[in-house]
Amino acid sequence: MSNTSGNAYALTTLCPIINGAILDAQGNETEAHDKVVRRLLQDIPLNEGSFFAAVDNTYFARLFILNDVFFQQGNEFEQDHLKSKYLCFNSNFHGDLKPYLEGMWNNCEAEVREIWQHCVGFSRVDSAHEFVRYIKACQLKTTLFFNGSNDESLAKQLKALYVKQMFSEFVLTQQGKSASETKQNFKYFLQRVQLNDLQSPSWKPGQSELKP
Amino acid sequence: MSKTLDLYDIQGNICKGYGRYGFPKARYFFVNFNEVSASRNFLLALIEKITTAEVWPVKNDSSVKPNSTTNIGFTYAGLAALKLPERSLKGFPVDFTMGMKARAHILGDTGSNSPEHWDSIWQDDKVHAWLSINGRDDDEISQRYSEIKALLSDYPGIELLSGHRGPNDSILEYQDASAVFENGQATGKEHFGFTDGIGNPYFEGSGAHRSRLPGRGKLMRDGTWQPLAAGEFVLGHPDEAREYPPAPEPKLLSRNGTFMVYRKLHENVDTFAHYLDTHVKGFDGSKDLLMAKMSGRWPDNGAPLTLAATDDEKIVLDARMADLIQRTNDGEECAKGQLKQLRSQWIDFDYDNDKSGSKCPIGAHIRRTNTRGSLEHEKGAFDRPGALVDRRRLMRRGLPYGGIDEAMSDSGEQGIIFMSIGASIERQFEFVQQQWVNYSNDFKLGNDKDPLIGNHDGNLLDKHIIQAAQHGQPSEGQHGQPSKPPFFCTEMPRFVETRGGDYFFIPSITALRMIAEDMIDPS
Repeated sequence: MSNTSGNAYALTTLCPIINGAILDAQGNETEAHDKVVRRLLQDIPLNEGSFFAAVDNTYFARLFILNDVFFQQGNEFEQDHLKSKYLCFNSNFHGDLKPYLEGMWNNCEAEVREIWQHCVGFSRVDSAHEFVRYIKACQLKTTLFFNGSNDESLAKQLKALYVKQMFSEFVLTQQGKSASETKQNFKYFLQRVQLNDLQSPSWKPGQSELKP
Repeated sequence: MSKTLDLYDIQGNICKGYGRYGFPKARYFFVNFNEVSASRNFLLALIEKITTAEVWPVKNDSSVKPNSTTNIGFTYAGLAALKLPERSLKGFPVDFTMGMKARAHILGDTGSNSPEHWDSIWQDDKVHAWLSINGRDDDEISQRYSEIKALLSDYPGIELLSGHRGPNDSILEYQDASAVFENGQATGKEHFGFTDGIGNPYFEGSGAHRSRLPGRGKLMRDGTWQPLAAGEFVLGHPDEAREYPPAPEPKLLSRNGTFMVYRKLHENVDTFAHYLDTHVKGFDGSKDLLMAKMSGRWPDNGAPLTLAATDDEKIVLDARMADLIQRTNDGEECAKGQLKQLRSQWIDFDYDNDKSGSKCPIGAHIRRTNTRGSLEHEKGAFDRPGALVDRRRLMRRGLPYGGIDEAMSDSGEQGIIFMSIGASIERQFEFVQQQWVNYSNDFKLGNDKDPLIGNHDGNLLDKHIIQAAQHGQPSEGQHGQPSKPPFFCTEMPRFVETRGGDYFFIPSITALRMIAEDMIDPS
């Protein structure tokens, strides 16, 4: 089973959340770790506002808590429960795992620490190198690919979406114009969209809607 | 054995449309049940006036056919006000329970379509029941209306609700509707000038003549047509998935009943006319052709673009029709058969030879709302070519309104009372409205909307693409190079606006009596 498809990588990790409650300075139990994690996840803004928008080459990322699973076969009602809750982290991105995770640490260390500090063994993570090692230790080999993108770099895909939108608008505004006028306008169009500049003008990472 | 339905138990206008049976006029009015026992007694007294789905001869036969009809349906709030048992109420589907206003975002009833712009009758959530009268003429309507009003006055505790915008800024206690008349004859026209209401579905046990099946039923792999399952339109019978549609207990409450969507759709006739005048200038064809490319049918006689896709082809078609009609009138049997065969093609067609949309644009109104086999992009992908549409068919029973007592204008009162009948509002009407009218992913047309009824806002990208004709004779299936660029209708404004409506349960005669006698017992 391969978790790569061309230049696209499908990452799935399960990080165990520390059982029980957080202890305050006096050693008293406060809120449970998984409750805090859930709130943090629910507060992550969507689309452009998500910290994943700052993680280069992210096609799609999702965090959720796996409370439990149970396994049942035939008429025998046998259940197999998890020993803890798990923080499940899926990401589909362009390129290799190591540079991707290093980029995640370097750009969003604070957010990563805030969430993952509630996971077993994360207290030892103190560098991009350690973060890569930690995530790899929690990694599942899966082939869960997001169907909405190809394996080009994110910048290239966003530029393609931008050009497609702009070209649609260009076409609609040229109806009825003479060939020479259209040709002239197409020159302006090319100047405006800057086909070879992947950074600008383009869609922003996380952008989810057409913006006029 | 083919399915038979108890047509004497099913309310009228479900199995057959009144419009086709010589009832071109209608009046719709709505009541609120203030007091439960008076309301039940009113219903009991009303039952004898309710028209059923019994078969009438098509030709006028006053010994069988009444001069006017009466039917009734209830909102969820109405059934609750009639104190149906909690368990029965909870068995109704969520779409119906929520009602149309609460489903505004699904339906695209936003902006100028949104409920705050609806007629005042819909503003305070008092509508409990819909009553409808269809009649041969205005006098028959008035007479039946007076009878029911007299009945209402016998049962204080039921309020006839006012609040329909009428002509010349009036506010009325009823909504009148009427076919558009030309030279004293009722037509199938609506106020934009299109011929409407062609091609309603044909289902098992409806009592409709078998000759009406082609084009209206479900298209089979071998090209023949079979009736749709009764359960697509009438509750308590198996549907196309061979399941009973979700319905409340006890079974007698839902069996032979159905759901109806009632929508008052205002037509901005000035905006539409102006849009056509402006855009026909750059369009290679007549204004009628431009209209046809928006709707999928020619405005004057409803001929589908699959029969005549250009102005020249339409001239040929019209000449052929005129010739066949003349020869039929002269008593030529052969011409009569040919005429019948030609007319059947108004309904019995598909888009197999028009994959590119060069005849009927892929985004045209009729190709969206009844996709026929066109969503089977690869031949043989499904059990049947129309597998994706057979569970999304809409039985339309509405009529135009307005345009009689005042000159038509955007600010005037004219449009269509859209009524759609089906076993599942969510699966049928709401799906079509959300996915096919106001969105185009299934057609690979991105965010484009229905050119006539989509909730456009006049932006550049509010567009409709008219695919270009292919080189030479467009014998489709071949991917010839288009000889011309496509035509883009851009900056489309909102031609049609929602002015109110709700979802109604239309019970069987049995269920209506049980409701009236407080005998509903789901246990």
